[in-house]
Amino acid sequence: MLEAITSGLAALLTPQSLLFLFLGVVYGLVIGILPGLGGVVAMALLLPFTYGFETAATLALLLGAHIATIWGDSVTSILFSVPGSAKGLALCFDGYPMTKQGQATRALAASATGALMGGIIGAIFLALCIPLIRPVILALGPSEYLMMALWGLTVIATFSDGSLMKGLIASLLGVLAAFIGTDVVTATPRFTFGSEFLMDGISFPVAMIGLFAVSEMMKLAIKGTPIVDRSLVKEVSTVWQGVTDAFKHWWLVVRSSLLGLWIGVLPGVGATVAGLAAYAQAVQTSPTPERFGKGAVEGVIAPDATMGANEGGGLMTTLAFGIPGGESMAILLVAFIGLGVVPGPDMMTKHLDLVFSMVWIIVLANVLVTLIGLAIIPALARLPGLHANLMVPMVLSVCFIGAYATRARIEDVVVAAAFGVLGYLMDKYHYSRANFVIGMVLATMIERNLHISLSLYGNDFLLQRPIALALLIFVLFTAVLPFIRNWRHGRARKTL
Amino acid sequence: MSRRTQENIVAVIVLSIFIGVIVVSMDFGPRARMIPLPLAIFGIILTLVQLVWQNLRSTDELQMDMISVSKPALAPETEAAPVQPARDKSSNWKREAAAYGIVAVLLALVLLVGPIPAIFLFTAGYFLLSHQYSWKAGLIYTALFTASIYLLFGVALGMQPYHGLLAPLIDSFG
Repeated sequence: MLEAITSGLAALLTPQSLLFLFLGVVYGLVIGILPGLGGVVAMALLLPFTYGFETAATLALLLGAHIATIWGDSVTSILFSVPGSAKGLALCFDGYPMTKQGQATRALAASATGALMGGIIGAIFLALCIPLIRPVILALGPSEYLMMALWGLTVIATFSDGSLMKGLIASLLGVLAAFIGTDVVTATPRFTFGSEFLMDGISFPVAMIGLFAVSEMMKLAIKGTPIVDRSLVKEVSTVWQGVTDAFKHWWLVVRSSLLGLWIGVLPGVGATVAGLAAYAQAVQTSPTPERFGKGAVEGVIAPDATMGANEGGGLMTTLAFGIPGGESMAILLVAFIGLGVVPGPDMMTKHLDLVFSMVWIIVLANVLVTLIGLAIIPALARLPGLHANLMVPMVLSVCFIGAYATRARIEDVVVAAAFGVLGYLMDKYHYSRANFVIGMVLATMIERNLHISLSLYGNDFLLQRPIALALLIFVLFTAVLPFIRNWRHGRARKTL
Repeated sequence: MSRRTQENIVAVIVLSIFIGVIVVSMDFGPRARMIPLPLAIFGIILTLVQLVWQNLRSTDELQMDMISVSKPALAPETEAAPVQPARDKSSNWKREAAAYGIVAVLLALVLLVGPIPAIFLFTAGYFLLSHQYSWKAGLIYTALFTASIYLLFGVALGMQPYHGLLAPLIDSFG
């Protein structure tokens, strides 16, 4: 194993590999910052350039770009409350309030350092856990995934920025919005009203661009002043503060990283759920949960550490079983096949050096992203101080062209505009946009796994799957907990 | 219009969406409506509870809810961070209408002339009307911005061009 570790690193220390890693990281940062274009788009666009080079160099380009998009997504979430992709959603909850308080530099530095630590922890655990994880993965089936998706819906109580009732309504609307299009199970066109465009469903990145980016620009146009008025709120934080914050909350980083690694291992769950789950556990385990949503640095560190580690988990199942943990890993799988590498048990025996090359790429890409990130943070932190008259036309333009570029369909621009108005109204009347997005993310997972569970195990599938039953009890507990807490707070307020 | 009336209108719209989902779902097969139907029914129950809840509470308490009890003043504080000058209601309505108009204008331009020319026209127009920059500086910034967008999306990312609904008309003149 030690030989594989060193030869994996040696394969990466060639000029071509290092150059490709650098190019991948820079490209990924740019793509990550653009609304709607996340890691999947970044990797998909790089695929044609992956043939004819060294295997390690090609993987450095792809993985480097993918890892850089993760932090790129976080940047816009923190600075403008505009997630570059769904992954960055959890960063809006505390990152944006920190920006408004003149702590953008600290938030960005904490985010970059948290992602670095998470990435390294994820890579180490990826290396250690490959032989151990196989029986665990094989023990989980569609029923368990269904329960995990339901758990994702119940944690919405943590994110409701209006009433809990409105939060639940928003998540239901999100689930129903995800059902627009052809049903994946029965191939029935649902809620399409005869539209050919709607048969493909609502593109998730386009909905995100509308709900967050377009609606935020509408708010900015109404406000007519910069996001942060530097004459009123000075940038008071430093990069060093953010870096030390991440190290100060090392236990939160470790917990979040392990959560990210675990979610990454589960096929089809993805980094969006990982980031939200990390935020939820940060709130639930904090001695001062009331600080969250108002600019708590832990609310930035936890999701970033999770998303950093998530890639290690996703890579684990992709390499060991050929099961991609998400869309980006599916693209990586395509690249593997193009390179003549067949994922599966052979990867753990014959190509172990390649596996460790990828572990090293994750580590080095994370280090590079953090170094570049820390260097450009002071410049990035000035962006929220730009006047609304400059921000609104430019960001709106990027949003609309980003929406069009997602699928090269002009109808997506109309969808982005419609979701922009919807997002603005939801924000105005406190129907949580985050809950809507969570509903959209989890809808397909819930429906698909429910249908598979019913087909495989019948109506009493829960009785046949004890792990799923245990998870259901956990889900019910977490669903009821906020109501009990609310009732207790209500009683406490009345006695006061 | 009072805040309560606005909230009630929104709740009624949401309620009608859930009812619409039920009506449309009845045309689907049993498996296709297995999840949308119960979710819509659950949505109706929640919305009705919300409607009753918001009408029984005092106006001050309208924003008070579970999360603001467990996480005190979450929404108000995040919103209140930047100090804004007080504006009268009519001014707010005008600004809100302008924001809808901005989105509508950009959308119309994109549909009519395609994304890249739309970006140029929209950005230049915005700079000009907002008097943020002199017309010369505004035009230079617009040209630089549009060029970088074109290089990034059109050249580097290879985005397929869309020429807009007016393209056949323009072609006929050519």
